Amino acid sequence: MERGYWIKSKPIYTSLTWHEKATSHLVLATGIGGMAVLKLFQQMHPTQPVTVLYGKYGQIELDYSDTLKSIIQDDLHLYKFEEDLLKKLQVLLRDATMGLRIYVAGSEGFIWDVVAAAKPFGIQESEIMKEQVDTLARTVYCVHCKTITKYVTTNITCCNGCERMLFVRDHFSRNLGAYMGLMVDAESPGELPAIEEIYP
Amino acid sequence: MSTINVKVAAVEEVTPLIKHFRLESEDGADLPPFSGGSHIVVTMDAEGRTYRNPYSLMGSPSDTRAYHISVRRQESSRGGSVFMHERVQVGMRLKITHPVNLFSLSKLAHKHILIAGGIGITPFMSQIEDLKAVDADYELHYAFRSYEQAAFVNELEEKCEGKLYCYADSQNERIDLTELLRHQPLGTHVYVCGPSPMVVAVLETARNLGWPENNIHHEEFSAPPVGEPFKVQLARSGIEVEVPAEMSMLEAIEEAGVAADSLCRGGVCGRCELTVLETDGGIQHHDHYLSDSEKVSCRSIMPCVSRTKGKRLVVDL
Ligand code: FES
Repeated sequence: MERGYWIKSKPIYTSLTWHEKATSHLVLATGIGGMAVLKLFQQMHPTQPVTVLYGKYGQIELDYSDTLKSIIQDDLHLYKFEEDLLKKLQVLLRDATMGLRIYVAGSEGFIWDVVAAAKPFGIQESEIMKEQVDTLARTVYCVHCKTITKYVTTNITCCNGCERMLFVRDHFSRNLGAYMGLMVDAESPGELPAIEEIYP
Repeated sequence: MSTINVKVAAVEEVTPLIKHFRLESEDGADLPPFSGGSHIVVTMDAEGRTYRNPYSLMGSPSDTRAYHISVRRQESSRGGSVFMHERVQVGMRLKITHPVNLFSLSKLAHKHILIAGGIGITPFMSQIEDLKAVDADYELHYAFRSYEQAAFVNELEEKCEGKLYCYADSQNERIDLTELLRHQPLGTHVYVCGPSPMVVAVLETARNLGWPENNIHHEEFSAPPVGEPFKVQLARSGIEVEVPAEMSMLEAIEEAGVAADSLCRGGVCGRCELTVLETDGGIQHHDHYLSDSEKVSCRSIMPCVSRTKGKRLVVDL
């Protein structure tokens, strides 16, 4: 990639830090994102109420459940499936009031699933603090058949829907929570550039 | 800036201090459409000087045959509002700018809390029309000195159908901002228009309660504060302008024939920002645009409302 080149649509992630001003806090994390949560509690234990939703899905994922349990005396909820975690998120948001601050740590896919779940409650993406951990894997949106393919680690991938070979662009859609995928061999079918893992 | 020629079609005294003007285009054509919260700048040619004052459009956005503005006679008057009160009569011609909206309702909001102080009610008059048109969830909190001095209370009561909350200072009624803003559902946006201390109080309360900046909106229409006279040197134009005590720096620069940018003329939008090259007395910032650290650094000034405490200022214009 060209140096100094930066696409505005590409999200910027930070390290989680507490908002000083809030009436309550909601922290969501999965897998190795648990470390970001532990770091957050290393900074301090806020005076306002804190709720933590932690998911540990796959077998191979690092599990911080036990450490989190011993550190967080507040409201900690553990999940085996993202679906359940997101459902709980929706229940919490339904009754939440302004002043709730939201923090997410996990893969880019998880982060944008949370963003999408929070949006119907009038929460803008920019209000959610996001830390990307674990993997750079991208969620890819096929501009041809509109299928979303998750966990793409290579520059070129096969679309789950139409099986076209897609080039994974840097252009990110906040609404879809995905990078745009464009057919690579439209001009000369079958001629593909080298496929490399660049989003490990 | 392109202007529209209008004639004054009606003038009405709403309270002893507030007058309501109906403006129609000179040729009887429809006026440009606008959205709730928009304002226009009225140019007034008084002998010896020109006033340019921003006023909110308070009519219904669906009615473009006329614009409606209300003007409160300012006690510490610097002329503009007095001119509107004493000199402007039915049939008179005025020049106005196209409507600009720096105080628009958020389309993403699930609920709107509108907070008005005194004449700051005007932008909400048109916004309420927009809110009603889409059946939005809202509350209007209107604070004023006394019922005798408050404008449009009856009209609002009718329009708002139970969503209006009034607070009269004379009866010791105050808005408890913390109480009001602490229990709002997610997706609520707050809007405030009124005197500076009220705007500051709302901004601070919302921020302290953890409201994101995107959900806080404000507008301030106060006459630019008066101060000590000083001289401002325009480095690029190579001229020096006297700023009298009762004129804003922006007005003085315009009076001198130098084209300066402006939009809200109330220290909110940032359009008029000028780089300060030199100052011998520091800046009296009256705006809500620059951040605290920018204010301390004194590298910028918003000439529509701010002044210098010193005798001389050099800006990059
Ligand atoms: S004109 Fe908007 S800040 Fe001065």
